[in-house]
Amino acid sequence: MSDANRATLEAVNAVIESARKDASPQQILDFIPYSSFIGAQAKMDGDQVLYWLEKRASNIGNPSLPAIHGGVIGGFLELSAAIEILYTLDVGTVPKVVDFSLDYLRPGRYKTIYASCTVLRQGKKLVNVTASAWQDSPDKLIATARCHFLVS
Amino acid sequence: MAYDLKLALFKPLIKLAMERSGHGAALGFDLRVVERGEVSMTFPYNEAVIGNPVTGVVHGGVIVSLLDTCCGCAAITSMLRPTVTPTMDLRLDYMHPAEPGQPIYLSAKVYRNTSNVIFCRGSAWQDDKENPIAHCVATFMKIDSEGFSFANIVRRRFKRLISGAKAQESDQ
Repeated sequence: MSDANRATLEAVNAVIESARKDASPQQILDFIPYSSFIGAQAKMDGDQVLYWLEKRASNIGNPSLPAIHGGVIGGFLELSAAIEILYTLDVGTVPKVVDFSLDYLRPGRYKTIYASCTVLRQGKKLVNVTASAWQDSPDKLIATARCHFLVS
Repeated sequence: MAYDLKLALFKPLIKLAMERSGHGAALGFDLRVVERGEVSMTFPYNEAVIGNPVTGVVHGGVIVSLLDTCCGCAAITSMLRPTVTPTMDLRLDYMHPAEPGQPIYLSAKVYRNTSNVIFCRGSAWQDDKENPIAHCVATFMKIDSEGFSFANIVRRRFKRLISGAKAQESDQ
């Protein structure tokens, strides 16, 4: 393990420990500059983590509808999947994204987007996570994503 | 090759729409090449989109946004008329992490354009195009409807405004 990786791991572990102690996954998001760039937030909802992205002008992709940029939805889901691993699993390393596959089901309207993640399989090397995003109700998904993370 | 007037007319519109509005403006990239079904762009290093604060590596989500934009632009340029081309799906493979502090180059190309679907592939690299950070395939729907022309959107908005005002009047 390189020095940079070790330093990252130490810093991340401290954040994760504090986040779990306070049951506040938001603390991990606050550690990552990209999450404040798009405005991603997270909280505990029962025993699941709920992620959300409030509407903001800098996330618009199509000004005439207006609709949220598809890339923002993708970035948000990838971020959520990574936070899900950090917060709920004990992997002992910073997960590295290997691939990411996104299906768009409905346009993302200019309002809050919610997301939840499920870890489908945790192996020694790989973790498979799915993430779904919705706006009005959880049975009307706007996008689903599936990603692999390397955790060894 | 004959001078492509249509492309020359569309180019500034596409550049304006992509670079100056919404998320494109927030990211801050530069569309370098806009050809029919082929787009290249440069993304300068931006500290606001770091994913790993210790190493300074940009977040994978940024690569998703950039490649989605790049492929989307390529899809639009393969049409060059008032259409919407929503993304159906996007698949990304990450080869290695981006080097912090260096610009990211991206290019996308439409490799098949059918009556309903546009197939596109794209890649992102830094030093060596043959050794990409990520590559992706994306498919786009083709909604070639008059309903999405600028004039019709303005007309619809206006109608909604008038019917809203009428409804308010009848309430009083």
